[in-house]
Amino acid sequence: MTTPFGVLTLASAAVAALILLHHLVARPALTATVRLRLLLGLAVIPFITAVSSTAYGLHRTTERDFCGSCHVMTTHLSDLEDPKSQGLAARHAHNAATGPTACYTCHADYGLFGYPLTKLTGMSHVWNYYLGGYSGWSLERFHAEVRTAKPYPNANCRQCHSGTLASFSNVKEHVALAEELEQNRVSCASAGCHGVAHPFSKTKDELAGGVTR
Amino acid sequence: MKGLLRLLARWPSDKALRAACVLGLGALALMVLGVVYGTPLPVVGSMSVAQGFGVVACLLFGLSIAADVASRRP
Repeated sequence: MTTPFGVLTLASAAVAALILLHHLVARPALTATVRLRLLLGLAVIPFITAVSSTAYGLHRTTERDFCGSCHVMTTHLSDLEDPKSQGLAARHAHNAATGPTACYTCHADYGLFGYPLTKLTGMSHVWNYYLGGYSGWSLERFHAEVRTAKPYPNANCRQCHSGTLASFSNVKEHVALAEELEQNRVSCASAGCHGVAHPFSKTKDELAGGVTR
Repeated sequence: MKGLLRLLARWPSDKALRAACVLGLGALALMVLGVVYGTPLPVVGSMSVAQGFGVVACLLFGLSIAADVASRRP
């Protein structure tokens, strides 16, 4: 709320609301001045409010406490915020550079249409939560029944871990599995490699799954 | 053109402007809710329903001004 876009939204909305309320209460004759005032109150200033609230909303949807605000995500959020947690996602969330937007940083699709596709996927989460019944589910049921819609793409990891540094290319497993990693047949985030991202939400079988081919 | 002007002359400008103001206030309220609460439903509402209300309010305003101008033509 205290971001510049949030403040601009609140300030511009207040000004526009005052103009509209004044028109509703005073009911002035439609003179040129009143038209101009209504143009400001119904078009110009609300346009600023709409743009700033959209910018605020788009940024807000990248913040991890936004993702964690649905009850089925509370354990994911508390794991990320636990400084002692050694899960793959938690270790990434401890990084100050990506921590505040940890969910978005790792789960956003990349590429030309990555941004709108990620937002569409996010809308499907909202749909599933409010209209698909997830809001009434217990955490235990959610952890037992819900998995990512598609296998986690290694390309998302490789946005940062590009594979060009020696610390990556000197690891013999990376070299041996280069083709499988490229084709997503082996997941970086699998047991046996770097471990699953959210271990508390997995079954014992999944945790002991080994390298997935 | 004359038909359109006659149609605009019958447009209830005052009522439409008041409706536009109410819709505009609703749109602004939804946008503010999205910022204040910052949870999924208010944020999605502020980026969708609120903007729909705002567009309708704007259209009502434009039609009302056009109707007012048309009614003052000799």
